[in-house]
Amino acid sequence: MEERLRIVLLAVAVRLAIAPFFMHAGDVGTIYESSIMVLKGENIYDYVYARTLQIQNVTGLPVFFEGYAYHPLLIYFFAPFYWLFTLIAGTSPVMIDGHYPSLPVLIYPWTPLLLLMLKIPIILADAFVVYLLAGMDTRKAEIYAFCPYVIFISVVWGMFDAFVAVFLLASYLTYTRSNILSGVFYGLSLMKLYTIVLLPLYVVRLFGKWRALLEFLGGLALTLLPVAYLLMVSPKSIWNVLITFQGTRLMGGVNMYNFIWIVQDLPFDLLVSMVPNILLVAVLVWLIPRFGRKAPLLESILAVMFIYFLFGKVINEQFLVSIFPMILLCKECDHRLWVAPFVFIFLRSPFYYFALPILWTSPIFYSYYLEADVVWRQLQAAGYLQIPMYAVGVGFSLVILWNLVRILETTQTSAAMKPL
Amino acid sequence: MRLKRVLTVFFAVYIIALSFIPLIHDSLLAQERWAGYGTGAYQFQNQHYFVLFNDPYDGSSKPHIHVNPSFAPATRISLLEFSDWTSWVNDHNLFNEFNATVRTSSNALLVTYASPEIVVRKSVEVTPDTVKVIFRCEREFKAHLEIWRWVMTSVNGMSIMDASKPLVIAPTNLIEFTFEDDRLQSVGRGSITLSAVPAEIMIWPHEKGFNKITIDFVNSEMSLTVWGSMEAVGTPPLIWSYALLPYVLPVVAIFVVGLYLLVDKYGRTIKNRATRRGS
Repeated sequence: MEERLRIVLLAVAVRLAIAPFFMHAGDVGTIYESSIMVLKGENIYDYVYARTLQIQNVTGLPVFFEGYAYHPLLIYFFAPFYWLFTLIAGTSPVMIDGHYPSLPVLIYPWTPLLLLMLKIPIILADAFVVYLLAGMDTRKAEIYAFCPYVIFISVVWGMFDAFVAVFLLASYLTYTRSNILSGVFYGLSLMKLYTIVLLPLYVVRLFGKWRALLEFLGGLALTLLPVAYLLMVSPKSIWNVLITFQGTRLMGGVNMYNFIWIVQDLPFDLLVSMVPNILLVAVLVWLIPRFGRKAPLLESILAVMFIYFLFGKVINEQFLVSIFPMILLCKECDHRLWVAPFVFIFLRSPFYYFALPILWTSPIFYSYYLEADVVWRQLQAAGYLQIPMYAVGVGFSLVILWNLVRILETTQTSAAMKPL
Repeated sequence: MRLKRVLTVFFAVYIIALSFIPLIHDSLLAQERWAGYGTGAYQFQNQHYFVLFNDPYDGSSKPHIHVNPSFAPATRISLLEFSDWTSWVNDHNLFNEFNATVRTSSNALLVTYASPEIVVRKSVEVTPDTVKVIFRCEREFKAHLEIWRWVMTSVNGMSIMDASKPLVIAPTNLIEFTFEDDRLQSVGRGSITLSAVPAEIMIWPHEKGFNKITIDFVNSEMSLTVWGSMEAVGTPPLIWSYALLPYVLPVVAIFVVGLYLLVDKYGRTIKNRATRRGS
């Protein structure tokens, strides 16, 4: 069998074996609920906005319901697989609630099948990444295919950052061949909105090549049509969910900003959270014109994303997956930086939390969950976990800095060595 | 190299400076006001009390009053916890059968419990000496309140030896209790002063003491003024507390940044030496 196909099939097999038994209740629950709503023809953003208004009314605080806050196209990657699931299992609820702080109610025997079906698009995205990487370097494809971090995010948690990874990689690979395709793929990478920081880079690189720029922006605009439609149909909802929520989120995650989690004062925290925002804009304005044009595209994309990882106020554990294939392709980067977010996963959430589908299969397992949870909550309440979380966050930021410096130095050196 | 030096110095200073934010906030900005956070929790800190009003999705800690002992100011010792889970107004459970909304106003936290039948308001006011919990309604209402502590060694002079079963105590508007804290090797005293004598006060034994006081009253307003303090008996040991985190984070930041600088400087030197030796 061809080596490339062998790696892809092995990567898929590993993921299929894990997928039915684990999940991140909040995120998989969001995709499940949103798929149901889409099939019923309901507006997901109206639902999320209504829940936000209700929470804000109850608490008197600027808090948001953390539901579907992604590009409208995303759910159409999942909804067909949910529809296939309903053909087998019917439309009765399988996962009830599960948004933090509630625990979900899971209905058997359908839960494992639902998890498998909802994770198939993610597994396919991973498979495409492996396939594309294997076409360039099988060793790098193997690293992505069997990296515990990537497997954990995609099929244990069931998060879809692999979509961002495959579309960003495709945008990079098609950049020199078809600007319109590159624009479409870049637009699709906006499924998680953080890749928006790359738009100025693409524009600066294509600036002056008007036809290419127009094609790229045309491709991008195609993917934004659903956003434009929803902005006309229910502007308040989509604006609140995509812009206000994402723009005014509390900083934190696997970064140097997670100290804010111990400052229990939301208005103050939101004010401080503006600091990295301002720095992010300032650094991008400084960096992109200087390095964006002269550095190779791969290194430029990574430099901008590393800047985002340093100054983006929210860096969740799964975000690194989106640029992991490109890090593997970059000679200056050290791909082992996945270790930090992987460790962070187990500090932030108890390991057994992701095995809810297994633990919920019997009252005995459920009682083990409750016992373990008491210990975990005691550790959290005492503040023991916040210290290693902060240390790992700072460490990860510094490793990102080290990689960024390597890229910038190499770019500077190679630019200086170019013959006049 | 210059770029690297500038970026490294910037981030070293930036990370360490940011790590002091929790300490600055807690010592200068967080005192004497209600601060909301999380999914709707609130807290109030002054020199003597730490009061937690937990999120609206959890019926406990409505509010949970802690004492900061003068001999261990960063430590929070639970004094009393009001529970919505186990309290009723006109036979309706406060947590399950009312829609509660929370607002803050200067030093008071105001909670409105609304049902089709009645609207009751609870306010929590913290002063330097006491924490006052007031229930108000435009008309008379019947209430059953449960106030918890694990555990009180005595209540109004009665110990567990005097009451092995739940016991109704003599009508009074002053409930005094004592408690102990093993970790701090200290004893504490507390009191609840009611604005009117209630219909009934019961104390509930649990293993080594009383874990609950229930108060039943019929009125249009009732205030419960809570006071507490602690005294060290022996030499209190140094103990870890969540409130110490703001002091620890700058140390962690300095350590991790220092480690990075060392590895960046000497790690490369060692690698270069190894490379030279090998070549």
